[in-house]
Amino acid sequence: MSTLAALIVVLAILMTIVGGETGIRSFFSVLINTLLLILVALLISWGINIELLILIFIPLKLVTIIFLGTHNGRVAKNSFVAALIVSVTVSLLILVVQYFAQAAGLGPEAGEVLVGLSQMPGLSYPMIAVAVAMFSSLGAIAEAAVAMSSGLLALKRAQPGISAVALKRSGNRIGTDVIGTALNTILFGMFGSFLSLFLWYFRLNYSIGQVLNEKLFVNEALIIMYSLIGVLLTVPLTTILLVEGITKTEVKNEK
Amino acid sequence: MKKKYLIAIIILLVGSGLTLATYFATHIYQRDSVALITDHQIKDTFVQRDKDVYGNVDQTRRQILHLTILSGPQRGKKYVTSNVYYPSQLVSQKYRPRQRIFVDIKKNQPAIVNPKRDWVLVLMLTLTLALMVSVTGKKAIPLICSLVLSWVIFYGVILADVKLNGTSMFLFFASANIIFSFVSLAIVQGVNQKMLVTWVATLLGVFISFGICYAMMKLTGETEMRYETGDYATQDPRGIFMAQALLGILGAVMDEATDIVSSLHELVKTTPDITPLTLIKSGRAMGQEIMGPLINVLVLIFISGALPETILYLRDNNTLSAAFGFTLSLGATQSVIAAIGIVLTVIFATGCSLWFLRARKRGDLV
Repeated sequence: MSTLAALIVVLAILMTIVGGETGIRSFFSVLINTLLLILVALLISWGINIELLILIFIPLKLVTIIFLGTHNGRVAKNSFVAALIVSVTVSLLILVVQYFAQAAGLGPEAGEVLVGLSQMPGLSYPMIAVAVAMFSSLGAIAEAAVAMSSGLLALKRAQPGISAVALKRSGNRIGTDVIGTALNTILFGMFGSFLSLFLWYFRLNYSIGQVLNEKLFVNEALIIMYSLIGVLLTVPLTTILLVEGITKTEVKNEK
Repeated sequence: MKKKYLIAIIILLVGSGLTLATYFATHIYQRDSVALITDHQIKDTFVQRDKDVYGNVDQTRRQILHLTILSGPQRGKKYVTSNVYYPSQLVSQKYRPRQRIFVDIKKNQPAIVNPKRDWVLVLMLTLTLALMVSVTGKKAIPLICSLVLSWVIFYGVILADVKLNGTSMFLFFASANIIFSFVSLAIVQGVNQKMLVTWVATLLGVFISFGICYAMMKLTGETEMRYETGDYATQDPRGIFMAQALLGILGAVMDEATDIVSSLHELVKTTPDITPLTLIKSGRAMGQEIMGPLINVLVLIFISGALPETILYLRDNNTLSAAFGFTLSLGATQSVIAAIGIVLTVIFATGCSLWFLRARKRGDLV
């Protein structure tokens, strides 16, 4: 058995033991999510319109992460709406910023990677860079939306009489925790992903000025910031949507 | 108007100023000269239509660029140069009118290096900071401090690693992890009982899960672990992979441990008659909610980064399994190792929180 397969089996067993039914669902959410990402790569390589793929796969991936990963219907619905609105907003930002950053394609080591590969694939790499940035930030946005919704709804269940204003104030407090949680995950995830690139810059004596203008570094730093901005937008939006939703259902019940 | 919005606006104003300053900055760069493309409309001609052995169709195009050098010894000189690019822009770059770029002038011939991208980073940093202040208010200070400090330590770690020349990389990054997590937790929570419990839970989560993964790798003889496919390997690629796995896992585990330990600490304080069993149950319930989305965050980060290369391999008629082996297998393995760490941390964070019960019995729960 290959190492990867063995590790996946260990992961499945652990998630079942620790997570029970939710754990099994989470496992499949992660698995489907990964397969979707590979499917996107395959479809893009067939030359299918990238903009169209982005439009289809953003909601699809949010559904996989949010609806499979949580078991409370209300949490899921509210998180999905908030995450979708934020994803669209961040996507527009990504489109604009990537246009100015011009940081698409492969990095300085391209020559070595590209031995035997086409340098003219006939695909728009600027658009692929946009797609990659969008998909990278989706996970963080979805995580923040779920954490906010479930935190606020748990509070509402514990204190059914809580006012909308008090709920919003608690939303601020929970929001800070959620942002703190996302921050390190995103940052260290990126460090872990690009350690070899940073070592490369140092060993080849890049100056700081060169690094700050270098394609791959700029791309990675931008992806960290897109994800952070996504999380930062998700926190207040989820609170507002949830509080409004609760107030509306209460008014309906009173009638 | 609330104070935090005022501060956010000040950040936006100062940041915009800095963005402009960076955009126009020319003299801070020593290595290459900054040049301005003076054309209002760049002459862009079609050279030829290309079809490669894989049947991919692309074009070769040539831009004629008029440059004015803005910095360095050739300052003020004008050059005309040409830039050949392919519209897919995988390795080549299309330039835009009135753009600022870096050029390397040798023998009176300018060679284009890069577009000037630094100002985009400053602009986005401004936006992120302003948004952070307006959403979290005063709490933004520790968040930003921990962010900055993480970069500083990371920089130090890289410097030290280059000095050590990559010897005993695993030991080195393991100790870096211990320092990273201590400093990061100390900034946000301060050094106290709760923070120390979180720290212990984090370290157990990182190292025990890594140990299990390492044992699994040894048992399976590291089959199909193609370390040589790791990009930008300047030293032992296996060592780099281990170090990347250790770093990538740390942030998620630290955040998760903080979440669980803080909530359980709160629970012990507010519920005087809580039993160990209820505590364990609450910890498990929290962990179940967190682990799925958290794993997804890391998977998306680790796998998305490799997609441009995967697409290229697939485009060039490689099979899916060949493309996966060359570009995704290391990232996928790293994701699974991180996922195992995230799952195990539920157990360690809950287990470590049991210590609060003992502390309360002794009467020194803070």
